[in-house]
Amino acid sequence: MPQLALEGLRILDLTQVAVGPYATLLLGFMGAEVIKVESCSRMDISRGAARPTSQGEGLYPGGDPGEQPWNRAGHYVHRNGNKRSLTLDLATPRGKALLLQLATICDVLIENYRASVMDRLGLGYEALAHANPRLIYVKISSQGATGPERDYGSLGSTLEQTAGLASITGYEDGKPLMTNETYPDPVVGILAVGVLMAALRQRRQTGRGTFIDLSQREVTVAMLGEYVVDYSVTGRVPSPLGNRHPHLVPQGVYPCQGDDMWVAISVGSDNEWRGLCRAIGQPNLAQDPRFATVLTRRHHQAELDQILAAWTQEREHYQAMQLLQAHGVPAGAVLKGGETLVDPHLTARGFWDVVNHPEAGTYTQVSTPWRLSKSPRRPATPSPSLGEHNSYVLGDLLGLSQQEIAALETQGIIGTRPIGAEEE
Amino acid sequence: MPENDFILGDIRVLDLSEDVAGPFCTKLLAGLGAEVIKVEPPGTGDVTRRTGPFVHETPHAEQSAAFLYLNTGKKSITLDIQSPTGRCLVQRLAQECDLLVESFPAGALDRLGLGYTALECLNPGLIYTSVTPFGQTGPYRDYKGSELVAQAMGALLHTIGLPDQEPLRIGGNAAGYTTGISAFSATLLALYVRDAAGHGQHVDVSAMETITVAQIHASIAHQFGRTPVRRASTLAQAQDGWVHAGLERGVREDTWARVCALMGRPELADDPKFNTREARREHQQELLTLINAWTATRPKEEIYHTLQGLRTVAGYVATVADLCTSQQLLAREFFQCLDHPDAGTATYPGAPFTIQGAAWHHTRAPRLGEHNVEVYCNCLGYTTEDLAHLRGAGVI
Repeated sequence: MPQLALEGLRILDLTQVAVGPYATLLLGFMGAEVIKVESCSRMDISRGAARPTSQGEGLYPGGDPGEQPWNRAGHYVHRNGNKRSLTLDLATPRGKALLLQLATICDVLIENYRASVMDRLGLGYEALAHANPRLIYVKISSQGATGPERDYGSLGSTLEQTAGLASITGYEDGKPLMTNETYPDPVVGILAVGVLMAALRQRRQTGRGTFIDLSQREVTVAMLGEYVVDYSVTGRVPSPLGNRHPHLVPQGVYPCQGDDMWVAISVGSDNEWRGLCRAIGQPNLAQDPRFATVLTRRHHQAELDQILAAWTQEREHYQAMQLLQAHGVPAGAVLKGGETLVDPHLTARGFWDVVNHPEAGTYTQVSTPWRLSKSPRRPATPSPSLGEHNSYVLGDLLGLSQQEIAALETQGIIGTRPIGAEEE
Repeated sequence: MPENDFILGDIRVLDLSEDVAGPFCTKLLAGLGAEVIKVEPPGTGDVTRRTGPFVHETPHAEQSAAFLYLNTGKKSITLDIQSPTGRCLVQRLAQECDLLVESFPAGALDRLGLGYTALECLNPGLIYTSVTPFGQTGPYRDYKGSELVAQAMGALLHTIGLPDQEPLRIGGNAAGYTTGISAFSATLLALYVRDAAGHGQHVDVSAMETITVAQIHASIAHQFGRTPVRRASTLAQAQDGWVHAGLERGVREDTWARVCALMGRPELADDPKFNTREARREHQQELLTLINAWTATRPKEEIYHTLQGLRTVAGYVATVADLCTSQQLLAREFFQCLDHPDAGTATYPGAPFTIQGAAWHHTRAPRLGEHNVEVYCNCLGYTTEDLAHLRGAGVI
């Protein structure tokens, strides 16, 4: 059995919502032991309300919040597999002391609170590094650990705006749009894995831990680098191009059979253009001077769109994709979330994991965006219930006695039910 | 290791990738101090040398903003890897390198005798990262991809845009960059293993899977009986652009009353249509009209700072010009100037992360074949006569 890449690496995970939990989900897949720390008064927001008030709030299996909705809320469940759960009230001196003690037996602490929260709790990098000089502290924040906007609050959707991504996203009318998908969250979550690996390499060289400052805004701006470079020389400010592309013509999204079904097509060369003409059964089009080169095709793109749409409308999106790809044309079905779950390619590659969750039932979970030939990922484990591993972490890892653990529970420092759960 | 040294100072990378994803991965590796030897086809070079935007009027291989940005910190050599001599040279270089990053169609390098299995025999420690649209296995492995296709197949495209219009892509090269980030993280995971265990491995990174991970929402919502749909925009018009009030999610309930007071509409504080997060989300378009009335006469950045002061998660749509004057980005010295002999001085986004004690290597992108002499002569021991010979044969 090949070894897991991160076997033996222990991570103290103080992240919540999306960006941080994505990072630790991936680290868990690669074999790290991830201990997620929440408190009964401040759970991960993605667990939803202790007692959801309105229908339609949150995603619950069968639409039923159940007795313990915080353990079966969809966004929590899907982002928090491969982790253990510890509750610890970090506002109490005992809670802080236990966190510091835990830091001494962990390699990494990762958090994505507002920038100054950990410092205010007395649990900033300095305090933690004092407890464990080999600790790597990964700070993910919306604006970075310094600067005048460091304490500004953001969601992924905010960052799409402040990092410029929305300014180049939109239809050809030029109005900016957000993705509604909080894109900067997963991107930074995926990047955090690599940055942490770099810091672990540094620790191997120096023997000391370090502090990582990861600004979601800056990472997102880094995805617009060519426009920054261009603007600084030419003064050009880019605006949305819809689905068009300056060099790939035709490029667009074309309607297919069925409700709201589409196929995406990008033609990058004259060769691909000739392939497209053959694929749609109109090889003569390739000789048409209106469409002979990228420049002329761009000039006549509206006519091209009509020709293509007339062909795609008669077909299902997968069928159109297959016919075009068979002629060497880059094309892809515009898949819906449900379609990726049963897509034959993703299935053949073993991309999805099926998880049996004691409280949330059976569900399908995304895995990793990479495959390492000699360091396989391990199968996803169900997301933990709140405080499920209190006894393992405090007893087995820190050596507290059963009585001490019971006392912590009585004092409300740990627990398995959120405060507010008993209110109705 | 002294302070501010390079984490990858002892690592050499053979970069056989082009376009956005692979080069962004190797740009980040170069940033951490790896020596990246970028191999480009003689004459034409990386495809981004031919795509814009170009910083001067006419297309020029050394003036593509995308190439300049994506290839900082690297060395460039030219090599026709399809030729027998070229293949031989790649094999020799692979023995001198720790990492190899490539973006050829799946199987193409195998056919040249440059696949992972062949190179592993020559260099068992080699980490070989393949960055492709669909990965090295599966029914779509030979399919061609693009930025648009990756966003489509990863279920990202379908939910972006407006309900009465076609699905819309994220602008720029978002999928390409994100796939490059996947490749970076995956490569460093493999290096972590190598540092401990000594062996290399083959790393398979797929754009479709990267986007499917990034679009986790769609697969989740579907399993809970909700099909995610394209929704109306919630951006409000400011005097000089667009803003978002950031009131639906992620704010405390008492924030709303303070925003009402700010807008001069205190009576709305108790209006059941708006006084909870859920209610505001339900009456989003009505809320937008109210907010628009207040934002329309004010500058976007002022609105952003004012609303953030009330602990909302407000944003403003920064244009690329706005990014370059952002007080936050400037205070953190995020942007850096680099001078290039053909392209001139330009502003570049700097390190997208900082690791205390680690330096960031940031030098201009190389000219096509700029490091031929250094790499072939100093690293492989060729003479200048040999080089002239290779050049004459069109190999470099």
